[in-house]
Amino acid sequence: MEEINTVEKEPIEYLEGKGITKLTKVATQQKLDRNKNLDYYKDIFYQCGKCGTCRTAYHEEGWARICPSGEFGKFEAYYLGGKNLLAWAVSSETLKWTEKLANIFYQCSLCLACTQQCQIPEIHNFAGEWLMAMREDAVKLGFGPMPEQARYSEHVLKENNPYMEKHADRLNWLPSHIKQTPDAKLAYFVGCTSSYREQGIAIATAEILNSLQVDFKILEEEKCCSSPVYMTGQTEKAKEIAENNVKAYKDAGIEQIITSCAGCYRTWKDTYPNKFGLDHGIEITHLPEFLLKKLSSGELKINNNKTPMKITYHDPCHIGRHMGIYEQPRDVLRRIPGIELIEMDRNRQNAWCCGSGGGVRSAFNELSSFAANERIQEAKETTAEAIVSCCPFCLNQFKNNIKNNKIQALDLSELVKRVI
Amino acid sequence: MISHEIVSELESVVGEKYVSDDPEITYLYHYDFITAEPEGKCDIAIMPNSAEEVQEIIKIANKNRIPVVPWVSGINFGSIATPRRGGIVIDMRRMNRILEVNEDDMYAVLEGGVTWADLKGYLDKHHPNFKAGITWSPPGTGVIPSCLCYGMFDLGMQGGTGAEFVNGIEAVLGSGELVRVGSCSLSNYWYGRQPLPDLTGLFIGWEGTTGVVTKMGIKLWPKLPYRADFLPIAQTVEEGVPLMLKLSKAGLGIIDLCIINLGWAQSLMCLDQNNVANDPVELGLPDFLGLISTQAYTEKQHEAQCEAIRDICNEFNLDPLSVKEQMESFPENLQGLMGHLTPSTGGQTPMQFWGCWNFSRGGGGEWIGSYVSTRNVAKYYNLSREVCIKYNRPPQFYGRLLFGGHYCVARTNINFNKNDPEEIKTARKVLHEIHEAVQELDGVVMYKPPIWAVQYYKDKTIPGTTKLIEDIKKVVDPNNIMNPGQGIGGD
Repeated sequence: MEEINTVEKEPIEYLEGKGITKLTKVATQQKLDRNKNLDYYKDIFYQCGKCGTCRTAYHEEGWARICPSGEFGKFEAYYLGGKNLLAWAVSSETLKWTEKLANIFYQCSLCLACTQQCQIPEIHNFAGEWLMAMREDAVKLGFGPMPEQARYSEHVLKENNPYMEKHADRLNWLPSHIKQTPDAKLAYFVGCTSSYREQGIAIATAEILNSLQVDFKILEEEKCCSSPVYMTGQTEKAKEIAENNVKAYKDAGIEQIITSCAGCYRTWKDTYPNKFGLDHGIEITHLPEFLLKKLSSGELKINNNKTPMKITYHDPCHIGRHMGIYEQPRDVLRRIPGIELIEMDRNRQNAWCCGSGGGVRSAFNELSSFAANERIQEAKETTAEAIVSCCPFCLNQFKNNIKNNKIQALDLSELVKRVI
Repeated sequence: MISHEIVSELESVVGEKYVSDDPEITYLYHYDFITAEPEGKCDIAIMPNSAEEVQEIIKIANKNRIPVVPWVSGINFGSIATPRRGGIVIDMRRMNRILEVNEDDMYAVLEGGVTWADLKGYLDKHHPNFKAGITWSPPGTGVIPSCLCYGMFDLGMQGGTGAEFVNGIEAVLGSGELVRVGSCSLSNYWYGRQPLPDLTGLFIGWEGTTGVVTKMGIKLWPKLPYRADFLPIAQTVEEGVPLMLKLSKAGLGIIDLCIINLGWAQSLMCLDQNNVANDPVELGLPDFLGLISTQAYTEKQHEAQCEAIRDICNEFNLDPLSVKEQMESFPENLQGLMGHLTPSTGGQTPMQFWGCWNFSRGGGGEWIGSYVSTRNVAKYYNLSREVCIKYNRPPQFYGRLLFGGHYCVARTNINFNKNDPEEIKTARKVLHEIHEAVQELDGVVMYKPPIWAVQYYKDKTIPGTTKLIEDIKKVVDPNNIMNPGQGIGGD
């Protein structure tokens, strides 16, 4: 093995009296870069002993399964342990790339709950990188993306959205009462799902911005952020889209983007600069961050909410595990009078994914519904009246899978709009 | 030869989704991905959902004379679930239901694929006043295989090995017949094996060569309100062991008595691997760490027990500090290790929490793990230690006194890079030499022995016993389809 470079030790934190110990930082880890190709990570794969830790969350509320892909697919191959060792087999040429292999790697929402459990430092921190690298290789070799993903990607290139809608209809949601400022330096990046499917989020967000008298505009040139293309391993195509987006926003003089979409946020904030090397210099803010700031400064005032409501919060993977945003949405919710926030057993780093991301909803509908229904059931068990999230894709997934209306699904923006 | 017809027949039993002969699926069953043992070959992986489905699979295997390997996690340090002659691997993970918890008789009835994570999660949520013990193996490993293969838990002093936790078994024999043994064979209760002929012995220690266990009743234990964990430290293992032996005969509510040496710290990445000598003793570090766990029902009882434990430690001039107090003097990473080990420091979680399973970043680890007379535990360590030092391997030793101190387990582990064929060769050499060295001691019997060690024990066993084992095997598995090539019961 090559010599290992280590980084500074970081503290291990104990949760006194909770009956568990929580590793907040893993110690003595190999210094690795992100966003590299499969070959770069090849000496990590075989550190995995397929011990099964990646399948279960070990937290104070109890131990629980956390991998939708594995729980649905059942075979070891669908859990992270299996994928690590399949990546080892491919990189050491023990196994050849096949359609089946690609199918296994695509049958995963890339929620990364598995990585949070594994305490092998390099797997804990970097497994997400090689799960993506495997998809990139699948695309290069003609085994990926999945046919449905290829179809929507083509549409993204033609009409700038994956929903088979026309670009010309993108702003159809925009009510006439929304006031925009043509020379604003701040743009609201609506995203495809809010533009075409969950327009209530777009309207609520725009109305919140208006009520705060924030100067903003929505660019007519707004196009898909590229997340659905990138997450399915089509890096080159996604990069091209990203370059065009950055040019459009820079040309429009935009200095800050607020987005109500978790996927767009992650893509603009992390993927553009760190994967595509697009140092756009635009400040990217997710709506809950913005709302919390305005609440803290007193600029955003909340009415005395007379209707008590029990809600539970679902952590979207793209802002939670991918970007580390767990508390801001909760802090916003806690500041709304009448709202009682009840946590699901699996929350924050251990949250069960809604099953829509990573191209899963388009290509593996059964897996996607399985994941959504498990989460909806968990939300119902809290006795909450609503499952609240801050990702239009999660919201749309819940709405499509909730039956009998025993619980409703809401976006944080919609909830906030009701009380200001 | 596996044909498409056989795959189709199996699909008709469990459904298409749960059978695969795809190389991308079967690859993950062909090797245990930890040990230095040779790879095997899995032709078909199948996941049944009931004992009836297991029976149907066994019938098809018998009809076609195809080997069958029962499997839950496939990792066990002896590669005993690695299919040596190809065939069908029955992955039990869909049968992961906890069917019953009887708090009165303190047992749980589990299906064959229940993992330690499943069981702990379930008990914590639904029966928080009871526990089943915690294995130090990863949480994805199976409870039933642990019990069948003499695995041990953190209740080892109280309850013995997993084999002693077994109350009853339901299994599909190699012949395809469904049997139950223990009180469950004639009633709805799974309270024990008595007073009938104890046929659990048809499955315990046989390493899957007699049948597929589909259900098991296992003992649960009450969680008592008072608990303390002590961690006396001595310069050498030889100095520490006499203390543990004395404690094992003192009662005092002791539920676990464990001996660890500092060599483990390297495997577990508790110390920076670049800065730890192969032999931590060379750095002047104490080598012996003894873990003493005790529990009590009342405060008064607890105080008396702790006082007696401290007195005995003092007799041996060893500081009777609690784990928590002792940890404060440890390097930070080692604090992490011990913190996870005991509830009194917020822990009680399986080993992988420490990131140990990459075994110092090589991903390979294997032990010579044996049951041994308590008289020989320190000698076992010293003999294996010499071999480790000779090959520049950190000696990693673990021992546990079991079942009220009636016997103990001793094992020495080595790490290697499983991506490097030369390292694997060396690892095998070291393991063989350790095995040979410890045979100098009478009564050393390896558990979960890999194929190369099995013949040694077969040769050593008295002929009448060997014949009885062979005769039993013929009755329960007439076509020799169950895990052939493995275990004392195998051919």
